[in-house]
Amino acid sequence: MQRDEIPPGTLYLLILRTLARSGEMHGYEIARSIQQLSKDVLQVQEGSLYPALQRMLIKGWVKAEWGVTTENRRARYYRLTAAGKRQLEVELSQFERVIGAVQRVLQTV
Amino acid sequence: MPSILERIKEFGRSLRILVRREKFARELEEEMRLHKEMKERELIAAGVTKEEAPFTASRQFGNTTYLRERGREIWGWTWLEEFWQDARFSLRVFAKNPGFSGTVVLMLALGIGANTAIFSVVNAVLLRPLPYKDADKLVTVWGCDRPKGFDTDLVSNPDFRDWKSQNHVFENIAASTDAMYTMTGAGEPAAIIAYQFSPEFFDVMGVVPKLGRTFLPDETEPGRNHVLILSDHLWRERFGGDRSVVGRSVKLDGDPYTVVGVMPPSFQYPSTTELWTPLTISPQSANDRGLRYLRVMARMRPGVTMEQARKEMNVIAARLKSAYPDTNKDQDVNLVGLRQLTTGDIRTALLILLCTVSLVLLIACANVANLLLSRAVTRRKEIAVRVALGASRMRVIRQLLTESVLLGLAGGALGVVLAYLSADALVALFPPTIANLSIPHIEHIPMDAGVLGLALLASLLTGAAFGLVPALEASRMSPNQSLKEGGRSETSSSRGRQVRNALVVSEVALSLILLIAAGLMIKSFRYLIGGDMGFQPNGVLSLRVLLPEYRYKTESQQRAFGNELVERTRALPGVEWVGTVTFLPLSGWWGTRQVSPGRGTADAQTPTAIWSSVTPDYFRALGIPLLEGRSFNEQDNTGNMPVVILSAKLARQLWPNEDPIGKTVNVEGLKEPRNVAGVVGEIRDFGPAGEQRPEVYLPFAQVPSALICVVIRTAAEPATLAAAAQHAVWSVDKEQAMSFVMSMDKLAAESLAPQRASMILIAIFAGLALVLATLGIYGVISYSARQRTREIGIRIALGADSWGVLRLVMAEGLVLTIAGSAIGLIGALWLTRYLSSLLYGVRPSDPLTFVTVAWILSTVALLASYVPARRAMRADPVAALRHE
Repeated sequence: MQRDEIPPGTLYLLILRTLARSGEMHGYEIARSIQQLSKDVLQVQEGSLYPALQRMLIKGWVKAEWGVTTENRRARYYRLTAAGKRQLEVELSQFERVIGAVQRVLQTV
Repeated sequence: MPSILERIKEFGRSLRILVRREKFARELEEEMRLHKEMKERELIAAGVTKEEAPFTASRQFGNTTYLRERGREIWGWTWLEEFWQDARFSLRVFAKNPGFSGTVVLMLALGIGANTAIFSVVNAVLLRPLPYKDADKLVTVWGCDRPKGFDTDLVSNPDFRDWKSQNHVFENIAASTDAMYTMTGAGEPAAIIAYQFSPEFFDVMGVVPKLGRTFLPDETEPGRNHVLILSDHLWRERFGGDRSVVGRSVKLDGDPYTVVGVMPPSFQYPSTTELWTPLTISPQSANDRGLRYLRVMARMRPGVTMEQARKEMNVIAARLKSAYPDTNKDQDVNLVGLRQLTTGDIRTALLILLCTVSLVLLIACANVANLLLSRAVTRRKEIAVRVALGASRMRVIRQLLTESVLLGLAGGALGVVLAYLSADALVALFPPTIANLSIPHIEHIPMDAGVLGLALLASLLTGAAFGLVPALEASRMSPNQSLKEGGRSETSSSRGRQVRNALVVSEVALSLILLIAAGLMIKSFRYLIGGDMGFQPNGVLSLRVLLPEYRYKTESQQRAFGNELVERTRALPGVEWVGTVTFLPLSGWWGTRQVSPGRGTADAQTPTAIWSSVTPDYFRALGIPLLEGRSFNEQDNTGNMPVVILSAKLARQLWPNEDPIGKTVNVEGLKEPRNVAGVVGEIRDFGPAGEQRPEVYLPFAQVPSALICVVIRTAAEPATLAAAAQHAVWSVDKEQAMSFVMSMDKLAAESLAPQRASMILIAIFAGLALVLATLGIYGVISYSARQRTREIGIRIALGADSWGVLRLVMAEGLVLTIAGSAIGLIGALWLTRYLSSLLYGVRPSDPLTFVTVAWILSTVALLASYVPARRAMRADPVAALRHE
């Protein structure tokens, strides 16, 4: 199965978007969710996921709380903060701008 | 862009992580463990066997240790944690080698301590803001008569008035003049040095009294001007710091004056003054442009530079020149900043000292760098192991730099302590009693934030400077190579040796420069001490008496006092000669008069001479030789012909090719022409370092003065006569005050205080440099001898005699010394000219000093390499070959 690396710079956007949709998730769920929604095309490296989450915690975009999984395991759940929601808007518009630009370049005959 | 507030919050969050980082690390680990387990389950569900699943999961997950560390890096505190690790490790290293660390810290402490001490003096004298509001706007304004060679001349009242009304560059300008009073009614009668200030003087300087007020505008008028302001010093000494002193009446010269204010201790201007009275311009001086007696201070308008002010003032001066050619023909204006005025005599010396100590610090640095380099070789294995275990080159360098910076800081801390302890000795080198030099009064040398900051900066920079080369050197090698060599780490790279040799050569060169500077200073100081001032200060006691006008109204009263005092003093046991003089040489007090030949009037070419009225035995008492004609005698009184004695220099100026004896001169301020009775030798009024100025002497009996300085030549120790001399004064007039009862020797010594201080300090620092350089040579040669133990063993085994070995090892030291000395000599030739303003009677390139110093340094350096060479020579060849 062909699995693609996540384009640089979009990991924050993906995490923010995922959390915005489902409210609260732990790290594994976030990785799973991105993978499934992308139909297994996007593979989140754990080596990138946790450092990214740490940095987002420091930036104040997400908040983390310890909770319990459905199987009664202790897990750290992440949730968007107000700053995180604002950041999502910023990252989205930035992403769209870039993608739009790329498309314009590609579509120019 | 995140706002400042967000940044701060962000920093707060990472700070929280730092504080509780163990907890955060645990949590991150737990989180990742969960992730891995879930992955395993997912894999099993996808058909991977139970046994295989953990491995596959791990493979996909990657290196957990690496991940954990990435997590930590994101917290942003890695550098701090690593620094802390490095610091703890360094301390362990130091503790294991106390001898090594102690040596390094001591060397650095000496270097940094010397720098801190000298900088604290520079800071106290040159850098700390003067205690006046916007002190950089304050300038002293002087007359300037280039043909006569006066660049800071006093100012006449009409000139001052015109400056004041015509200038646009000064916010305010004020005048003052010096005065001396006899104070009675507060303790013993005392001669008080005072200044008369125009009321706006205090405003110009921007000071307010700590008690009472300053002068009112109308207090310059006669009848209202009997008010005074006390200095803090006089207030404490004479009035016991009584806060109710304002309003009290004190007698100055017999007149009652009211104390209206007390100045704070920070206001001590001019530095010798004890109190201030209002400046009253007398009708005679009000319009006399030739009577120059005012000292002028001005505050420049905001935005006006010194250059602009100087330009405009000289435009005004040019106007006055053409309007009043009789008096102002050559009168320009000179501006001197307040700081420059008060530190003139000491500034250059301090800056040179500052350069000297930084050279000492450089030498100390080179020494320590060398020590670290030799040690880095023994630490090769340790570093190789670290590199093999994955430490990056940066990381190794950082570790080594942490060590050296810590050493630097320890040295700096000890250095600050040393500097603090030496502060008192430094103050003692600049005695505050000196009245004849412009040295600022330093009561104490503060260790303020600036000084401590500089010490810290010096420590950090030194640490980095001496640590960088060894750290780069150590991190350069390949771990493979080092580990292969095993314990046999003795083959030092030729590169390492080059670096070490270069360091030693520069140490030798720098210390040679310092030693030559010290040699020149010492030679110059010996010249000054032995220097002929034109009189013999040893065995002479002096004291100064100012006869107050209110009790000695007439010349005959002054004359009677002087004669009586000479008689009484001559009767004291042990006294050989007694004379009086108006302005005592070395006292810093002097007066000038123009002396013109024949009956002509004074013009611009007329020489200006320092004048004094002297009693007949004055020349004998002070030991000034009579060159021609006769000295004054008892017959030179009012009943006989007016006479004068000239110094040889003045005589030559007046009559270059004629015999002056019997010729006539006119002395400014005296009506009758005077006959030249004799010519005496010239003297240096301002000490051995000062110049010879033309002098004119008048007989005291014909031209008495209110200021009488008594010089007593005695066979005994002059100080033992002090009390008796004081009583002699009181036996003539029990209410007469006197001051400066001291031996001429002491005065002469004090006039050399700046030269003595810079000589002593430069000599100390050069000595320090010599010790450091010697240690450096010793270290390098013994290290190199140890490296060559095997080679030497082989040589001895093959039949080399011990002299051959000795020569072999010492040759290395000799080459380094010669190279260093050569560079040092060239450097000294180039640098010592900056010393020339501090040197007297010796040229900056004095060959004898250069040769002597180079010889001393070479001898010491050879001795330093002899010791290790001897050790090598005595080596047992068998032991040497087994060595390693």
